[in-house]
Amino acid sequence: MITCEEFFAEFADYMENQVSPEVRQELELHLSQCRACHVLYDSSSKTVKIVTESNSFELPQNVSESMIERVMAELRKDRS
Amino acid sequence: MSFLKEVRLEGKFGPFVAFQEAFGFIPNLLHAQTLLPRVIGAQEKLESAVRLREVAISRVQKERILLSVAADRQDTYCVAIDCKVLSALGLADGQIDDLLTDCRNVDLPAADLASLQFCLKLARHAPSVNSEDIEALRACGFGDESILEAVVVTALAVYRCTLSVGLGPEPDFEPRRLASNRTAPRRGVVLHSLLPDAHKVAHRKGPYLPAPFLSPSAFAPFALLKESHGFIPNFFRAQTLRPDLLEAELEAMGRILLSEDVLTRVQKECILLAVSAANLNSYCVAVHCNLLRGLGMPSEEGDQIAVDHHESNLSERDRALLDFAVTLGTRGSEFSREDVVKLRTLGFTEEQILECAVVTALNNFSNTLQMGLGIEPDFEPPVVFRENKVHLPPAASPQNDMSVLVSPQQTVAAQDPDAGLVAQAQGGKLEAFEELLRRHSQLVYRTLMAILGNPADAQDAMQDALLSAFKHIDGFQGRSKFSTWLVSIARNAALQRLRLRKNFESLDEGEFSEEGEFRPRQVRAWQDNPEQSYSKSEMRQLVEKGILALPASYRVVVMLRDIEQLSADEVARQLGLSIPAVKTRLLRGRLMLREWLSPHFTTSAKGAV
Repeated sequence: MITCEEFFAEFADYMENQVSPEVRQELELHLSQCRACHVLYDSSSKTVKIVTESNSFELPQNVSESMIERVMAELRKDRS
Repeated sequence: MSFLKEVRLEGKFGPFVAFQEAFGFIPNLLHAQTLLPRVIGAQEKLESAVRLREVAISRVQKERILLSVAADRQDTYCVAIDCKVLSALGLADGQIDDLLTDCRNVDLPAADLASLQFCLKLARHAPSVNSEDIEALRACGFGDESILEAVVVTALAVYRCTLSVGLGPEPDFEPRRLASNRTAPRRGVVLHSLLPDAHKVAHRKGPYLPAPFLSPSAFAPFALLKESHGFIPNFFRAQTLRPDLLEAELEAMGRILLSEDVLTRVQKECILLAVSAANLNSYCVAVHCNLLRGLGMPSEEGDQIAVDHHESNLSERDRALLDFAVTLGTRGSEFSREDVVKLRTLGFTEEQILECAVVTALNNFSNTLQMGLGIEPDFEPPVVFRENKVHLPPAASPQNDMSVLVSPQQTVAAQDPDAGLVAQAQGGKLEAFEELLRRHSQLVYRTLMAILGNPADAQDAMQDALLSAFKHIDGFQGRSKFSTWLVSIARNAALQRLRLRKNFESLDEGEFSEEGEFRPRQVRAWQDNPEQSYSKSEMRQLVEKGILALPASYRVVVMLRDIEQLSADEVARQLGLSIPAVKTRLLRGRLMLREWLSPHFTTSAKGAV
C-alpha cells in the first residue's frame, strides 16, 4: 500500500477528480485502511461542500440593482 | 559539412563512445550537433533506451519502424543509416528493398505488418490515430508494453528525421535510391485501415494503455518533476508501464530545454507551442500555454502564438525563429539551407539555430508520443484552440493545413454566450451593456471582495470597474471571453485601491512560498452532516469569516473556484496564474479553511448529535 506521504502528494488532484483510474484505486485502498487520511479527506470534502453551498459574499439583489442603475445613469449623462 | 558549424570534441566524449560501440561508427547527424554537446547527450539517452534496449519488441522490429518512417518521409539521410544497420542485423537485401517501396509488400507476419502500418499512420498524421488502432494491435497479439515501445520508437524516428532535415548532415553511406512510386506521398493519404469501419465506431477516449501508479517517492524523476513543475503531467503518467523509457525521455528533455545558455526558456516554450499548434496537438498546446503563463507571458499572447504567431507581439526576430521551427517541424519538404541563412542574417548564432532545430525535433517527438498514446489533457486547451481537438478520419485531414485553425475571434465568439450583447454594446447600445452587467455582477463583486476583503471597498471598486469597462469596451477584441475581460478590469480597479492602503497584502505568493513542505494538520473526525448543526445564515457567516481570514492569494482562488465555481483553468486565466499555482493555492486555502471550521464540526463540537 502507498504511504500517507504518497497519498497526500495526489490529494489535490483526487479532490478535483483528476486522477487516472489506476491512481484512484490506490488512493481509495489507502483511504479504506488509514484513519488519519480518511479524516483528512472527509473533512476536506465537507469543507468544500459547506463553502460551495454557503453562497457567501452574495451581493444582495437590491444593492446590485441600485449600483447598476447608478452606473447606467452616469453613462447616459455622459452621452447627452 | 552540414548547414551549421561543427567543432572537434576533445578527448573521449561519452555519447560518441556509446555510438561507436553500438553502431561501429559515429553518424554525421551527431557531428552536426557538436556545438552543443549536451544535445548529443540527449539523443544518445533516447537512442540507447528506445532503440537499443530490447524489452518487449526486438531490435529488428524497431529498426524496421525507423526505416519505414524515414523512407515515408523521403529522408535519404536516415534511410542510408537504417538500411546499413538492418543489414548488419542480418536482414536480407530483398526485404530491405521491400520496406523501402511499400511495407505492405513485405513478407512479414501479419502482426508485424499491422504494427508497421500503425507506426506509419502515427508518423504521417498523428491526429488520426484513435483507440481502434490500438485495439487492432491488441487483436494481433501485441501486448501493452509492445504497443508503448512501438509508439516511442515512432516518436524517435520522427525526432531523427526532423533533425536530419534541419541540420543537413552529409550522408554517412551511399544513399539508397528511393522507389519512384513513393517520391510524393500524397497528403492526407488514407492508409489501409486495419478495421474498415473504424471511423463509424465511437472512439474510446485515451489514455489507450493502462498506467500503473508510480509514486514520486519511489521514482526520483517524478519527485523532480513535482518540484520543478508543481505537478506530474499526464504525458509522463501515461508511460508508467516503462519507467526506463520515462527516465530517458526526462533526461533528454532536461538537457535540451532546461538550460538558458543559448535560447531562453521563453523562446523554447514559444517554439514548442507554435509547432505543436501547427501539428494540431491540443494537449501540447495547453501544456505550453500554461508554462508560458507561468513564465510571465499574458495568456492572450500565448493563445495568439497558438493561432498565428505572425499576429503576436513577439519581436520580428522571434517571429522568424518560429517560422523556421514551424517549417522544419511540419513542412520538412519545404525546408532548406535558405531557412538557416535567414536566421543567421537576423543575428542568430550557430548555437541558437542548432538549439532551435533540436527543440523542434523534441517537440515532434512529444507530439507523436502524445497522439499515439491518446494522453488526456492536464488542462483545457485555450478557447481559441479547443475546437481543433479532432480525430478526423485521415481522408478528411489535410496535413499541415493551417486553415483548419479558425481565427480566434470566430472561435471565442462562437463559444461566448455574451458575444451578441457585446457586439451591440460596442455599437453603443446601452441596454445591451446593462444586461451584461446583470449577468456578471456577482462574479465581479466576489472577485473584488476576495481581493479587498471588505464590502464597502468592494462596492466602490465595482462602480469604478463597471464605468471603466464601458469606456474601454471598444478595445475588447474577443480574444478571451467577455467575463474574463471584465474580471481583469475589476482586478485592476481593486489592485489600484489596494496599493493606496498602507500595508497592503500582496496577491502574489510573497511570504507564502509555493515551495517547501506543506503538511495538513491533524484534526478530529467531523460529524456526518455538519451543515445540519447551524442555520443557513449562521453557516454563511462562519464561512465568510473563515474566508476573510485566509491570506489574500489563497482567498481569491478559493472564492472563484469554490464559490463562483469556475473551473481551475478559468481561475488561472482570470488571475493570470499557471494551473499548478492555482492548484497549490486552492489546496492550501481549502485546508486552512478546514482547520478554521473544524472546531465547529467535529464530533464533539456544539450541536453534535
